[in-house]
Amino acid sequence: MKTYWKNAVLLLLAGIGLNACAAKPSNSIRLPVGYIPNVQFAPLYMAIEKGFYREEGLEVEMDYNMETDSVALVGAGELQFAVVSGEQVLLGRAQGLPVVYVMAWYRDYPVGVAAKKEAGIRAPEDLRGKRIGIPGLYGASYIGLKALLNAGGLEEKDVHLDSIGYTQVESLADGLDEAVVIYVSNEPIKLRAEGYEVDVMVVSDHLSLVGNGLITNGNMLQEQPETVRAMLRATSKGIAYAASHPEEAFEICFKYVENLKNLTEEEQEVQRQVLKASIGMWQLQPVGYSDGQAWQNMQDLLLQMGLLEQALDLEVAFSNAYLPQE
Amino acid sequence: MNKETFTELNKRKWRGASLLMSLAIFLIIWEGLVRLLDLPAFILPAPSQVAERWLRALADGSLLYHSAATLLEVLSGLLSGVVLASLLGYALAKSRLLEKVLQPFLVASQAIPTVAIAPLLVIWFGAGISSKVLICALTVFFPVLVNTVVGLRAVPENLRDLMRSLRATRWQMLGMLELPAALPVLLGGLRIGATLSVIGAVVGELVGADRGLGFLINVGRGQYDTALVFVGVLTLVCLAVTLYSLVLWLEKRLLRWKMD
Repeated sequence: MKTYWKNAVLLLLAGIGLNACAAKPSNSIRLPVGYIPNVQFAPLYMAIEKGFYREEGLEVEMDYNMETDSVALVGAGELQFAVVSGEQVLLGRAQGLPVVYVMAWYRDYPVGVAAKKEAGIRAPEDLRGKRIGIPGLYGASYIGLKALLNAGGLEEKDVHLDSIGYTQVESLADGLDEAVVIYVSNEPIKLRAEGYEVDVMVVSDHLSLVGNGLITNGNMLQEQPETVRAMLRATSKGIAYAASHPEEAFEICFKYVENLKNLTEEEQEVQRQVLKASIGMWQLQPVGYSDGQAWQNMQDLLLQMGLLEQALDLEVAFSNAYLPQE
Repeated sequence: MNKETFTELNKRKWRGASLLMSLAIFLIIWEGLVRLLDLPAFILPAPSQVAERWLRALADGSLLYHSAATLLEVLSGLLSGVVLASLLGYALAKSRLLEKVLQPFLVASQAIPTVAIAPLLVIWFGAGISSKVLICALTVFFPVLVNTVVGLRAVPENLRDLMRSLRATRWQMLGMLELPAALPVLLGGLRIGATLSVIGAVVGELVGADRGLGFLINVGRGQYDTALVFVGVLTLVCLAVTLYSLVLWLEKRLLRWKMD
């Protein structure tokens, strides 16, 4: 009996030990993107497929875990980079996490509100008293909606919010909600493909906010600035190339996005349009450049919403210094 | 062939035929509803569309690949959960003190909804297979544990006395009395565990994964490919039913000596 338990414990320890031995070399990068494989990640697939990362001596692995607390892990030094939306940086820094936004992927904040044409919701003021479906009362959709309500001089109590998860298309189609908070490059395209005429109000038409970009931590900037520069060089090359070669980018997505090649012609066309619309929102001139005003707007909005308790030093929250020089 | 066997065979044939008939009626109603109400495919796909997507996923090997990934998680989780639960169950059955001490923790562990802690487990253990196996094992753990304790405790005391009077060692007691006596209840626990482990694996995959049927369902949702979501769900149902049937078969074989 004694030897039995001794063996069991030894086996268990061996198992733990073997796991710990799987340490990764420092140029091997696990990149959380916060969503499942999708055509919007075409620049990354491009950079991997065409060897942009390899040329810089980097090996990038995509992490599709939706629950990865990217900001916390990058802040704690567990991960070197992550793709997150701008507000996450300020919220993380407010918690003392030393994350720095080093490359702006999106120029336009990707959130908007869509409604059927017959509802006549064309300007933010028209949202008064309406039922609005929103994925949840958190994240980029919530912040984007708040920006739109502000633009219309409205408060949350002037509208009815429904937390509906990611069922916006169905909700609007079935009339369960009069308007839905969406990603400009995604849901409206599906709605139009299904024959619905929709009006889309885009946050970026009213307020410039910080969208998705690449973050790293203070440690990386201090100890491995060259790795940061290499990562940004390769990634921005991927973004630029995908933007100028959308067809090729879509073709490459067949390899990286599960089920894309099994979709019907119409469904694939929707995904093509999604990529095209995404490209239209990327920061391209120059690639990766962060706009100070957008950061100021973002901070003001977060303070107003009570998500930030006090103003932060924005100068250290983002940087353009590691972008490839033109 | 005597009269009884003939009726048995007829009964089974009739049961099979009626099952097929009800399935066919269900499919006809489903297809009819979709056409009548002119429902768009992304809200409710017709059975024909689901079948077509199913065939396509089968043809390019993706269905097999993702099913295998989920099956691996399910079997690993089931195995580890059952082993741990049986070991702990044996210890608890033997020691009332241990049971009293561990009871609150065990009950609490069961009270936590899997869906709620799955994200935490994925954060702590990564989006690889280990977090799914862990979620699976946790889902299976409690039912199997309870059944193990109950089964082992239910061994008739007079049989124990008999073994003791014959100077049986602990191993002989376990192998010749306790296990066979507790087997029906243990297998009942395994039946529950088999179906629960499928749920556990999928919950883990829905939260964070890059393969598996739960992942496939997420992909389908993200691309508005609702037919694929159906394919994923139906494949999961087949998986769970197959596992359950396997345990039933195991039960029949192992409990043949029981005169019912």
